Amino acid sequence: MHPLRRGRCQDDGMLKALTAACAAWCAGLAAQAEPVRYRLDPDHSFVHFEVLHFGTSTLRGRFGPIEGLVELDREAGHGAVSLRIATAGVSTGLTAFDARLREPDLLATEAYPFAEFTALHFRFDGPRLAAVLGELRLRGLSQALELRAQRFGCHRHPQLEREVCGGDFEGELRRGDFGAGFGMPFVDNRVRLRVQVEGIRQ
Amino acid sequence: MKLHPQRALLAAALMGLALQAQAQSATYTIDPTHTFVYYEVGHFGTSTNRGRFDRKQGTVQFDRASRTGKVDVSFETASVSSGVPPLDKHLQGADFLDVATYPTARFVGEQFGFEGDRITQVGGSLTLRGKTQPVVLKATRFNCYLNPLLRREVCGGDFETTIRRSQWGMTWGLDTGVPDEVRLLIQVEAVKQ
Repeated sequence: MHPLRRGRCQDDGMLKALTAACAAWCAGLAAQAEPVRYRLDPDHSFVHFEVLHFGTSTLRGRFGPIEGLVELDREAGHGAVSLRIATAGVSTGLTAFDARLREPDLLATEAYPFAEFTALHFRFDGPRLAAVLGELRLRGLSQALELRAQRFGCHRHPQLEREVCGGDFEGELRRGDFGAGFGMPFVDNRVRLRVQVEGIRQ
Repeated sequence: MKLHPQRALLAAALMGLALQAQAQSATYTIDPTHTFVYYEVGHFGTSTNRGRFDRKQGTVQFDRASRTGKVDVSFETASVSSGVPPLDKHLQGADFLDVATYPTARFVGEQFGFEGDRITQVGGSLTLRGKTQPVVLKATRFNCYLNPLLRREVCGGDFETTIRRSQWGMTWGLDTGVPDEVRLLIQVEAVKQ
């Protein structure tokens, strides 16, 4: 069954974290405006990563599309996110490098086929979404991750005739924190994430 | 991609000496595994679409003493990769890159700006869709190092510029809000020959 055809606080399998959060959150917000649910648009939801190579130039690559759901109540200043990415889909433009990244000492894609990001804390600066604070689970390890919004907005999509909300977010992680330390220090520990997301109102 | 840390550290320690001892003018060949162009274009004022070009080749000559150089890099336009196959097809078509008619994009730059030994910018011309227009690539980072795997000097950095695609005849979607401005983020490393 399509997860979005279910009640908004029921388990939809893939999104257990969101569901658990939602149950508590829904109870707390019962008297408030209904949050709106958005499903990420696979054509406009990607993570690009950047890592410094020998202190000289920036290696880049892409993960995605990101799959998942976002619930947003802009009036109340609340939101919840549950997203995942297939790690084997890493794409740098170099087949051999992609294969190396999938190995156990880096992304370990066989043992950990998905990276997951869940967040229950949306920080607003007035009406503007400033950051999403959550937890990234990668290679079986979880670490706090803050994604700062560089821009965020909503528009009515002319073809879909539905509201689309989205933006650009940036965050930084240390790959060593996730046990993916191969090649340091020549390839930096710090990994900058540049995230594009757009969600279609359900 | 197997690194030997001790050897690499030794190499790094010797790097400064090696660089001082080298001949001043040298030719470098673009390392295609560390040379990419990514583009960024706004999408309905909401988020940023990104993509890259995967196949490329080129050479760089540069002389730190005389502060001169020449870079000549070509990209296969058909190698555009956005992660969205139908978008790649559209970008390859006549509305955008028109890869059937114009299979390569080429940047030739000879106006090197320096600050000390460090390249700060490279001015030149970008040929795309059969049109040639001036472009200045600003360095956000530049460095040379002795690569422990190749055992050769590698110079490279990060460059960026913002172009207006209409200057190369790519006007599709301008009337419906697809931006004219395209930001290019360029990673380049070149190996001394």
